[in-house]
Amino acid sequence: MWNLQDYRFAANPAEAVALMRKGPGKGAYIAGGTDMLLEHPNCDFVVDINRAGIGDVAVTPGGDLFLGAAATLQNLEDNDFVTGFAGGAVSIAASHCGNRPVRTTATVGGNLCNALPSADMAPVLLALDATCYIADEDSTESLPLTDFFVGPRMTVLEDRLLVGVALPAECAGWRCLAHKLTRTAEDISLVQVAVALGVEDGRIQEARIALGAVAPVPMRAILAETMLIGQEIAAVTPDVLGDVAAIAAGECEPRDDHRASAEYRRHLVGVLTRRLVEGILSDNREGGTA
Amino acid sequence: MNISFNLNGARADWEVAPGETLLQAFRAAGVFSVKLGCETGDCGSCTVLLDGQPVNSCVVVAARINGSSVTTMEGLLNDDLMIRLQTELVEHGAVQCGYCIPGMLISLYALMKQAQHVDEEAIRHALTGNLCRCTGYVKPVEAARAVAAAMEVSK
Repeated sequence: MWNLQDYRFAANPAEAVALMRKGPGKGAYIAGGTDMLLEHPNCDFVVDINRAGIGDVAVTPGGDLFLGAAATLQNLEDNDFVTGFAGGAVSIAASHCGNRPVRTTATVGGNLCNALPSADMAPVLLALDATCYIADEDSTESLPLTDFFVGPRMTVLEDRLLVGVALPAECAGWRCLAHKLTRTAEDISLVQVAVALGVEDGRIQEARIALGAVAPVPMRAILAETMLIGQEIAAVTPDVLGDVAAIAAGECEPRDDHRASAEYRRHLVGVLTRRLVEGILSDNREGGTA
Repeated sequence: MNISFNLNGARADWEVAPGETLLQAFRAAGVFSVKLGCETGDCGSCTVLLDGQPVNSCVVVAARINGSSVTTMEGLLNDDLMIRLQTELVEHGAVQCGYCIPGMLISLYALMKQAQHVDEEAIRHALTGNLCRCTGYVKPVEAARAVAAAMEVSK
């Protein structure tokens, strides 16, 4: 059994941080707990944030999509705001996490804060320019999700609380496709790629390519993105796509483990990047205006 | 620590350890329809309804359910929909060793209670968290389709 001395409920984010600092001993935040109960992290108490008022999905007056940290993956899968944002890419990614009963309790915040290089929700949120909101006892800070991950299982949080992530309104009309490659449906991913393109008047105005499980932290392939930005769709020939894929593959830093070799992972980044970019552009070539 | 919650329609006051799982608490209290399988949230044999939604009780901390409502097979034995699901599983030969069946029934029950229209894809998606090592999934899916078809007719 997990050797905890105390289980505390927080009624709001500031109280959660205060309860975390109160001691005695070492504490951890808990939401769904589906990862923590596998790993039994070494701590004396946990602070439950399921009742801290950060479990909702909302659209701000400015049109940003706000995902509360304690929003469950099932909520993300089903929520109309999420299914309607950037082609529903976040909803689809959530539906591929774990299994149905895991998604009932597992949360988007927990997935990010666990900070695995293979965090299932990270690539699609990176591709849609997510901003993190972090609570302290008497203040809230925001920073890009790209700056949230510090290393494997390490974030910028320390003892502060992630209250949610926001996707900017400008991304709502982007087309986004994400792919997670696994050995079995429930296994941790070998490679994840998410691509988001903002296309207007036949030209790629914005491009994001995000990679998971191929570096110490979930990352963006900035050089590959730069190659796409400003291009006419008609100019993105198979040769150009091949170059973009090769550059993305060159940007990642995969490692060997029992699931796959680094070389295989790097190869997959190229294959998936090319497929996803082509998948989005072929829809546009057929006359769509996404 | 003490928790109070609604178990199958009746108030339950239990003493649990802060790090105990809901599965461990159920087994200790004699709620034996909730099966211990993988204990990693993969197999689904410990599936119960938490506030109407299916969860793997092996990866839920018992302390968390204070004030919530939990339903297990014990609470659904006289439920018409549950009886139909059980009957069709038997009719279709979907039950062999039976270990996965309480969890599978809970998952199917949650689906049929909530979904407007239940097709094969929805059934398979709902069963993603329930592993069967005997018959596989064709027969349980066919049984669930039979229940869904009967519900469509009676609408």
